[in-house]
Amino acid sequence: MTQVARPAPRRLDAFELPSEPGNERLALARVAETVQGLGLSDSRLEKLKTAVAEATMNAIEHGNGNRAEIPVEVEVTQNGDEIVVAISDQGGEAPSAPKPAEEPDLLKKLDGGQSPRGWGLFLIRNMVDAMDITINGQRHTIWLTMRTGGAAHGEHV
Amino acid sequence: MASMCKAATRVLPGAAVIELSGEVDGAAADVLTNAYQTAVGTHADLGTVVLDFAAVDYINSTGIALIVSVLARARAERRKVVASGLSPHYREIFDITRLSDFIELFPDLDHAVSQLTGPAA
Repeated sequence: MTQVARPAPRRLDAFELPSEPGNERLALARVAETVQGLGLSDSRLEKLKTAVAEATMNAIEHGNGNRAEIPVEVEVTQNGDEIVVAISDQGGEAPSAPKPAEEPDLLKKLDGGQSPRGWGLFLIRNMVDAMDITINGQRHTIWLTMRTGGAAHGEHV
Repeated sequence: MASMCKAATRVLPGAAVIELSGEVDGAAADVLTNAYQTAVGTHADLGTVVLDFAAVDYINSTGIALIVSVLARARAERRKVVASGLSPHYREIFDITRLSDFIELFPDLDHAVSQLTGPAA
């Protein structure tokens, strides 16, 4: 039986950002530039950009507590037909996003039964093909996976 | 790179239009609240508020929360909110969050205004 060797993951970019509000825009712009030409459609690129921005914002605010001297680390790799963006903060066991007790429910939000906020993780989950979270000591990483040429949830291609 | 949210308001017969530009994020809270207040403040009987996003290049989860707050206030005041000019990406986010169940979406401001106020004489 012949086995086809899967190419080793290729690191496309790695960078750090100070944990200052607004720097998520820098992350999304740089990731968008890095993955340009790798086969993501425009609509899926927009989804990845939104997911990267939301995850970086969570890392800045909730993981690193807006302390500029603690960087958010971003790494972009290509693994076969997958683009993986890893965004790390030093929030450790502390959740790097406020964990809502329940899924965001617009009707409840409109009626005052839920805070109007709490959309970040919900948006991320709905933008990418897979989202994983790992915690290693103080290092908290969210992994965003997007397949090139594929379709995200509910997307028609 | 970052562009602050700005809002221009105008009142038409039966509807107020809030034309947003820049980024709808946490920093847009005062702009959006003040724009809504300006739009409806002197027109208590105003039935519809149009949010135009044609010149908006970024909306994040905090911006979505602001839009939810505007919608909640409008509903409490028995006003309708409609939106125009969203890009396909943000239209999808309005669908995913179910905002589009409560906010009618128009492709552009002209469509929204002509629908709400009828064809120009």
